[in-house]
Amino acid sequence: MKRAQALGVAALVVALGFCGTGAWTYAQARTDEELAFGRERDTALAEGRNRITVLNTLDASTRERAAAGIRAWRDASTGPLRTELGRTEATVGASARATVTEAALTALDVRAGTAKLIATVRVDVTPRGAATATTDRKRLEAVLTRTGENTWRVAALSAVPVAGAEKGEEGGDE
Amino acid sequence: MTRLLRKTTGADAGTDEEAPDAVGDDRQPEAPQATEKDDKAAANKDEAADGSGEDGDGTGSADRDGTGPAVSTRRFTPAWRKSALAVVLIVLLLGGGWFFHTAHQLRSTPSARNQALTDTGSTTRVSGDVAEGLARVFSYTPAETDAAERSARTVLSGRAARQYSDLLAQVRANLVEQRITLSTQAVRTGVIELDGDSARLLVFLDQTSRRDKAAASTAAAQLTVTAKYQGDRWLIVDIKAR
Repeated sequence: MKRAQALGVAALVVALGFCGTGAWTYAQARTDEELAFGRERDTALAEGRNRITVLNTLDASTRERAAAGIRAWRDASTGPLRTELGRTEATVGASARATVTEAALTALDVRAGTAKLIATVRVDVTPRGAATATTDRKRLEAVLTRTGENTWRVAALSAVPVAGAEKGEEGGDE
Repeated sequence: MTRLLRKTTGADAGTDEEAPDAVGDDRQPEAPQATEKDDKAAANKDEAADGSGEDGDGTGSADRDGTGPAVSTRRFTPAWRKSALAVVLIVLLLGGGWFFHTAHQLRSTPSARNQALTDTGSTTRVSGDVAEGLARVFSYTPAETDAAERSARTVLSGRAARQYSDLLAQVRANLVEQRITLSTQAVRTGVIELDGDSARLLVFLDQTSRRDKAAASTAAAQLTVTAKYQGDRWLIVDIKAR
């Protein structure tokens, strides 16, 4: 009887230990700073890709659509870029459709909530009334700012200039 | 077991001495207590060994008959305790298993395995090696194409090495004939993925070419580079234009 009881207690202790260690391991993983940093990095990259796609896309076939596109630009941007884009007039003109072909973060400050991103973008530009699009490839650099949980917006966007041919370019100015 | 025997005799003594009033009254509550323990012991014994349980069974049933319905609820206790213990054990084991499993999953997601920027040392290292390697193999003068090809062997590997020698074979004649000098510089390097000894990077290049003494012209190139860590440095194993 004593042996059976001791066995029961021992099993309970072992099980408690197992569960406790498991809980501790889980808590460690949940609060691991490196893992949190990795998640933040992936969020910033995914958000950045989406924002850059929006900022390089504009359907200007009608005035209403252009206005909607500019509203989308404002939603994708923050800070000085947002102010600047807000002044853009909605006019009928050439339309552009962007695809981010590759993107990478070059810097990330989780505490400050800022990140730098480089991206290659393919932009198909369709002139007003034309049926065929011309394809343009761009290389861009963006500064991202965290504006909420899991929300990053573009604070600055510029083309990476080729040495000798310095020329700044804004996002979405097609 | 010795305790069991002692208790049993104690209980027997209690039933024997039922006649003396004062002592009997005192002993009365002790009797069921002993029976309870006997009962438990008997149950335990039953499980431990079927054969040896007979003796305990005998005393157990005799005691039960003596104390009536009060014991029939107690009879339920050991079994109940045992199943409670089993349930607790199962819950604890399952819970622990879930914790371990989830913790492992958290640490083995693609996001967690990707050390780009999380491991700043390795990130800087791979960026530096790749940027420097690209600058070296895509910079050459007409007189030094052999040197470029030699340095390519220390920087490129696998598919990238084959791509490069094919390319160089095509342009070599032109290079020498038109006296083209090419110099390449990596202007931006971003690590997309870094997992142990393999990495994928996005590199922006500026390539300045000069034909003989004519003015230089600069072109932009964007590459996705796959690199593998071999020996003591990162080798470029694949290059794709973006």
